[in-house]
Amino acid sequence: MNERLASSPYVTTTPEKNNGGYITVRVRFRKTGSLQYISHLDLIRTLSKVIVRTHLPLWYTEGFNPKPKISYAAPLSVGTESLCEYMDLRLTEYVREEEIRAALNRNLTDEMQVEEVYYPLSKITDLFWLSYEIRIHTVGASEELAEDCRKVLNAERIPIVKKGKAGEHEVDIRPSIRQAEISLDGGEIVLRCILRADANAFLNPEHLIKLLREKCGILSCPVLIREWYSILRVEAYRENLDLFV
Amino acid sequence: MSQNLNELSSILKSVEKPGRYIGGEYHRVMKDKAAVKCRFAFCFPDVYEIGMSNLGVRILYDVLNKEPDVWCERAYAPGKDMKEKMEEYHLPLTAVESGDPVAAFDMVAFSLQYEMCYSTALGMLKLSGLPVWAKDRGADAPIVIGGGPCVFNPEPIAPFFDLIDVGEGEEVLPEICRLYIEMKENGSYTREKFLLEATKIEGVYIPSLYDVSYFEDGRIKAFTPKLPGLPTKIRKRIIADLDTVSYPEKLVMPYIETVHDRIVLEVYRGCMRGCRFCQAGMVGRPIREKSPETICKAAKCLYDNSGYEEISLIALSISDYTRLRELTDGLLSWTDDAHVSLSLPSLRLDSFSEELMEKVSSVRSAGLTFAPEAGTQRLRDVINKNVTEDDLRRSVGIAFRGGKSAVKLYFMDGLPTETMEDIEGIAGVAKTVIDCYYELPKEERPRGGVNVTISVSCFVPKPFTPFQWEKQDSMEQFTEKQEHLRSVIHDRRIRYTYHNADTSRIEGVFARGDRRVAHAIALAAEEGVYLDAWDENFSYEKWLDLFRRTGVDPDFYTTRGFGLDEILPWDMIDAGVSKEFLLREREKAYRAQTTVSCAEHCNGCGADHLGGKTVYCPKKKGGDPV
Repeated sequence: MNERLASSPYVTTTPEKNNGGYITVRVRFRKTGSLQYISHLDLIRTLSKVIVRTHLPLWYTEGFNPKPKISYAAPLSVGTESLCEYMDLRLTEYVREEEIRAALNRNLTDEMQVEEVYYPLSKITDLFWLSYEIRIHTVGASEELAEDCRKVLNAERIPIVKKGKAGEHEVDIRPSIRQAEISLDGGEIVLRCILRADANAFLNPEHLIKLLREKCGILSCPVLIREWYSILRVEAYRENLDLFV
Repeated sequence: MSQNLNELSSILKSVEKPGRYIGGEYHRVMKDKAAVKCRFAFCFPDVYEIGMSNLGVRILYDVLNKEPDVWCERAYAPGKDMKEKMEEYHLPLTAVESGDPVAAFDMVAFSLQYEMCYSTALGMLKLSGLPVWAKDRGADAPIVIGGGPCVFNPEPIAPFFDLIDVGEGEEVLPEICRLYIEMKENGSYTREKFLLEATKIEGVYIPSLYDVSYFEDGRIKAFTPKLPGLPTKIRKRIIADLDTVSYPEKLVMPYIETVHDRIVLEVYRGCMRGCRFCQAGMVGRPIREKSPETICKAAKCLYDNSGYEEISLIALSISDYTRLRELTDGLLSWTDDAHVSLSLPSLRLDSFSEELMEKVSSVRSAGLTFAPEAGTQRLRDVINKNVTEDDLRRSVGIAFRGGKSAVKLYFMDGLPTETMEDIEGIAGVAKTVIDCYYELPKEERPRGGVNVTISVSCFVPKPFTPFQWEKQDSMEQFTEKQEHLRSVIHDRRIRYTYHNADTSRIEGVFARGDRRVAHAIALAAEEGVYLDAWDENFSYEKWLDLFRRTGVDPDFYTTRGFGLDEILPWDMIDAGVSKEFLLREREKAYRAQTTVSCAEHCNGCGADHLGGKTVYCPKKKGGDPV
């Protein structure tokens, strides 16, 4: 167990079964490279088979159609890579963390690997902020363009149009942006930001790309392969900006 | 497409379901390019979700990769949106595993599962940068191979392929690769020499080595080998013993949802029933079974290696398996504890039982599906679908008592000798099902009423069936029958759906077409016809136009019917069943006389001459594999 986990008040090494007869174990994994094109739904489907292959003592739901239970935090959208995905699994008995990690990794490919396994004392819904590194390879990248982008993201109000069940409506996303730093690096505009990640006010970083495209003209070359951007989830935090564990 | 992900990312973000194009699946086979001697691209002419579901491809991928010096990779048809982007940015079709262009492979093989995939197969060749006509490909181009159920009549696509393999592929494909490697290694390889040498492998057909000539009226005059010593009949390959043939122990696990995302276990090949419209049943003969032990072992192994919680048993008529109880008991001994559910498709009306229903969890859902195929007993006898109204009443009774309230029934229209009375009979069958529901005491049937769906498809006469000479109905006839059926259904509990006759007409042309039809398919690919097995891409008018411009008369292959003394385009193939048998069955059909199944006695279909460890064939029963 690494230092961060070892010193965390939210981690236990002596978990006990709860009333439902299971122990919850938390898994932090990467989802990178071409796996960014796998949707959250497909990820769920994939992992539901992965965990069966591990032959770990999975806890199954009661009822007519018993299934293992996996909980996720902050669904990752298609086109975003991540170093910090989390899922909670339910086991019927204690298994050593390292053993779980090895069993999962044997059943995953190298673009999706488990980095940490621990028995948490926090809820997965405590995940509140996520940091991102967004690299924008756009025609016309320059200090001026970076400055334009900075202005847009540092405005007091940032209204965007969101599509919801009840049609389109305007929302100010400024409160959902904790930090947004823009720099120019090797001809690419780089945006490092911390965005809300809880279910109440989840902000998809794609909204920032869309906003900068509309306001500053990034990524609008009709020749698709001349421009690209990448979004990488880097770290997860609690509401008070402590690291999420 | 594992390379240049950065540049590709903008494209992938702009298309539907980008997960189709990334590969990287768990259990895909990776090999060292430098260490393999034959690179084999297995192409499926439909989108990833369909191709990944195909059992044949799974089996052959596994078989080929068991050869240490062969690397078999997969390629699928990109979606229409992706194809456009690839054309715009000059990106060639690549194999999923290595991301290398398909055109750089030694072999490029297509699995041809249904006629409507032909234009897509050519579209994939074009995306690869390969000429579609075999004669236009250079000395160094890959050997382009065709196989699968469609090649029992290879002719409409024959000019596009260097080599066609007829029948079951587990042995013949590795043999083809071995020959290729051997000739490359001893320096004797040229394209021509290799193809000539390959004719010695049973099941291999090299279309370019044969000439076809025609009478003035369009019928075939002669089918002639261009060289002495070439086989005049291409005998399909079969696997002699299904217990010893290789079956995958691992499955490539797709990241995205596929059509059949589960463990699929093959139970037997062929069919003892002899329905006269059914090509699969005829060309699969002789009937060979796997033992329950073999299947159970495969099931456990695949479960351990996949994590799938659903197992599906497949066969043309699963309840005909001679050891079904042993098999289901063997599987159920562990599947329930492992939370694995079993599903059995293709249940027959005359062998459906309470026991079977309880064992099969897919049947836990609200509905059941049966295929009476025709609306009257007379017509069911004509097509030799040996089920009766009593079978239907009994089966739906079990279903209703078991809590099902929805029944789906499959039928065909346009069957030989069909009259409007038979069409009205379809509505009658649906009505019978509803009556059966209300005849049950209230406490024995599910609450909330009953609903019946009837789904009617258009009959397409297929090669190697007793109906291979039949006239196919015209568009007008199909439409009239469909509308008549609609007009006689008044019950709101009956839902009526039907397949469009226009697709069946085009399918009819390809099913019984000859080499001249190839011109229309090539022109279709030239003009961007692609993935038109999908309704949204299919245009009947476009095909009629293509036929017109290439001098192909669709009626010639469909409504005309074929003469009994005529040379049929597929006559060079020996599919097992003899022409004499098919003719006898045809005569019996006209007399509405049924033929018993192989289990009762041998009807002399002739398929036993292929040998193999067969179940019923009297001379071979229990015999050693040949």
